[in-house]
Amino acid sequence: MSSLATEPAAPPASVSSPPRPRRRRRLPTVPWLLLSASILILGVLTGYPVVRMLVMSFQEYERAQVMGMPAEWVGFDNYTAILTDSAFWAVLGRSILFMLVAVVLTMVLGTLIALLMMRLGKGLRLLVSVGLLLAWSMPPLSSTTIWGWIFDTQYGLVNNLLTRFTGERWFGHSWLLDPLGFFTILTFIIVWGAIPFVAFTMYAGLSQIPGEVLEAAQLDGAGAFARFRLVMLPYVRTIVTVLVVLSMIWDLKVFPQVYALQDIGGDRQKTNTIGVYIYQMGMGQGHFGTASAIAFVFVAIMLLLSIYYVRRTMKEEEL
Amino acid sequence: MRKNRLVAVTAAASMTLAMGACASGADAADDGGPSTGEVRVWLVGTDTPDEARDYLKTTFEEQNEGSTLVIEEQSWDGLVDKYTTALAGSDAPDVVEVGNTQASAFTSNGYFSEITADEFEELGGSDLLPGFVEAGDWEGAHYALPYYAGSRAVFYSPQLVDGEPPATLDEYVDAAKDMYKKGKFSGMWWPGQDWYNALPFIWENGGYIAEPADDGSWEAGFSTPGGIAGLTQIQDLMLNASNAPADGQETDLQVPFCEGKIGYLSAPTWIQWSINAPEEPESDDGVPGCGSTYGGDLEAFALPGKDGGAAQVFAGGSNIAIAKKSEQRDLAYSALKIMLSDEYQSIIAGIGLIPAKVSLSGDVPQENSIGAAGVEAAAGAKLTPATPKWADVEAQNVLQTQFTRLANGDDVEQVAADIDSQIESILNG
Repeated sequence: MSSLATEPAAPPASVSSPPRPRRRRRLPTVPWLLLSASILILGVLTGYPVVRMLVMSFQEYERAQVMGMPAEWVGFDNYTAILTDSAFWAVLGRSILFMLVAVVLTMVLGTLIALLMMRLGKGLRLLVSVGLLLAWSMPPLSSTTIWGWIFDTQYGLVNNLLTRFTGERWFGHSWLLDPLGFFTILTFIIVWGAIPFVAFTMYAGLSQIPGEVLEAAQLDGAGAFARFRLVMLPYVRTIVTVLVVLSMIWDLKVFPQVYALQDIGGDRQKTNTIGVYIYQMGMGQGHFGTASAIAFVFVAIMLLLSIYYVRRTMKEEEL
Repeated sequence: MRKNRLVAVTAAASMTLAMGACASGADAADDGGPSTGEVRVWLVGTDTPDEARDYLKTTFEEQNEGSTLVIEEQSWDGLVDKYTTALAGSDAPDVVEVGNTQASAFTSNGYFSEITADEFEELGGSDLLPGFVEAGDWEGAHYALPYYAGSRAVFYSPQLVDGEPPATLDEYVDAAKDMYKKGKFSGMWWPGQDWYNALPFIWENGGYIAEPADDGSWEAGFSTPGGIAGLTQIQDLMLNASNAPADGQETDLQVPFCEGKIGYLSAPTWIQWSINAPEEPESDDGVPGCGSTYGGDLEAFALPGKDGGAAQVFAGGSNIAIAKKSEQRDLAYSALKIMLSDEYQSIIAGIGLIPAKVSLSGDVPQENSIGAAGVEAAAGAKLTPATPKWADVEAQNVLQTQFTRLANGDDVEQVAADIDSQIESILNG
């Protein structure tokens, strides 16, 4: 990586050589010029909001301040308030638990579909790909609404089918009312929407594995599972890491699906995840200071996850 | 009120985008703003009839040569969230409708332009609905004025319900439970999230939502003996008289009613237009009703009180205000004046809403039982606690969530304690 910035004539830094008169480093203009556009966009769209949020998290910022009243500095009050609030920890714990379940399911099912695609003929593989793409391209709000209809208490497909097949009366049974039911349906929606990406990426990775290696393993007597575990997985290890970290981040910050599903039914207090909790605190109740503090704690957690991901990819590139 | 929510939100969003470009052309306001321009009026939900919308647009454009008026429909869902940011932005609308219980969240934080005493007199003064004027006041000044009041009545079809309307609240409960025993039939319809219909039971039994204590803090009253009695009655009805979904919302009530499976339906009076609409909607965005069956002979009565007479019901309705950030206050005021004119308010009264002016209440059609029931119920109407923080209770869906628990069979006293502690923590927070 670092060699990119230095001149090609200069010897690599690691090689020990007698100290030469230090040449003044020229600022590499072209790379920076090329970077400037993205730095500007990131600075305006991501940098400024993050700084603003950080500032707001140390202020008492309510609706009146939105309209231009000067905001009062309150130090770490917002942070103390949320870190001592059991509701915040409940929401955070719930979000993490949900994330873990969703990530495991997404990875397992996505990988299975990728393996399936490797075995399929051309026509069927195209069919599966189109199906996956459709699920992938569905806007989350639309898909949540449709899943909501499927599980509708009064007129839903699921209750209708259950009534027809069990002979018992399922109309009026609410699937969302019980938090466990709510999160089961939410998991359906999220996992269903996340599988295509995992499946495609895994398929791309798995299909790059040289056939000879697998053949050799087979000749050596490795069964299908052993081949997958001992040969295929090590080949795609980096891809799996990236997918897991990305999925963790996506599933932790999930918002539209939860927000829309809460609108359809269920107990908000028992089903809040961190995304909607921040929204309710800020936009809903107008406590922008507190909401910013929660958001910042959340950003810190996400950064920890991302740093692992970034370091990992850096390492892989160095290899 | 919330039907076709998704469509409405999408439409509103795209309209906002489209209009944003035009509105920003207006010059910055130094005093009353430019003399011509485009005024954007935000109406919420579908309550305002098309006739009134057309009247507003035509009259405004006649009176203000060269100016145009655009109505952008908003959705009740998430309204407080939306206004919090939209009214603070540089692209704020000029005139906005807001729920009467939500108004103080904005009046107290400087979101609305003050209506001077002279303007107040010109717009109707003491003829304006007093409770709604109060809801739009802040620290002695007027900010949001009454727009209309909704009113609730209990609807039924004589094809399904026999006999006279009940005379007391207890008779009403018993009648609904008796009908439920027929099987596959809801004596009354009570989706779990419906808290508007629950309040009369709390008030009639002597409970209250929240009242100011001596030290100025708010004290919630669902755990008082009256509150518990009310909640017990509510749960009894939810479990033993209603087949509505325990976590359902009070939306599209005409659908279950038209199935012929509901005895009593307590709802805003405008629901009659959805119920007795034709089965095949006349327009593309129309909603099918059942005008030829159960909607054809619709009757209504005011919810009876504990000791007879009309019960104290929740006074829902809307206020109307000029956004502080409106860049053309003079034009916005001229639109507001039309919306509070006798002609405009008579159109509002014509569909069964209670007009913003007391002197026009006679314009609400009284020839059938529905109009009469609406006016009778409005007389005993009550409001939610008068504090800007109440909007946060609504925005957090505290009551919706807790009533859902009741409908699910949770312990009444536990639910009451939870409601009280949540309301107190928000109002005193």
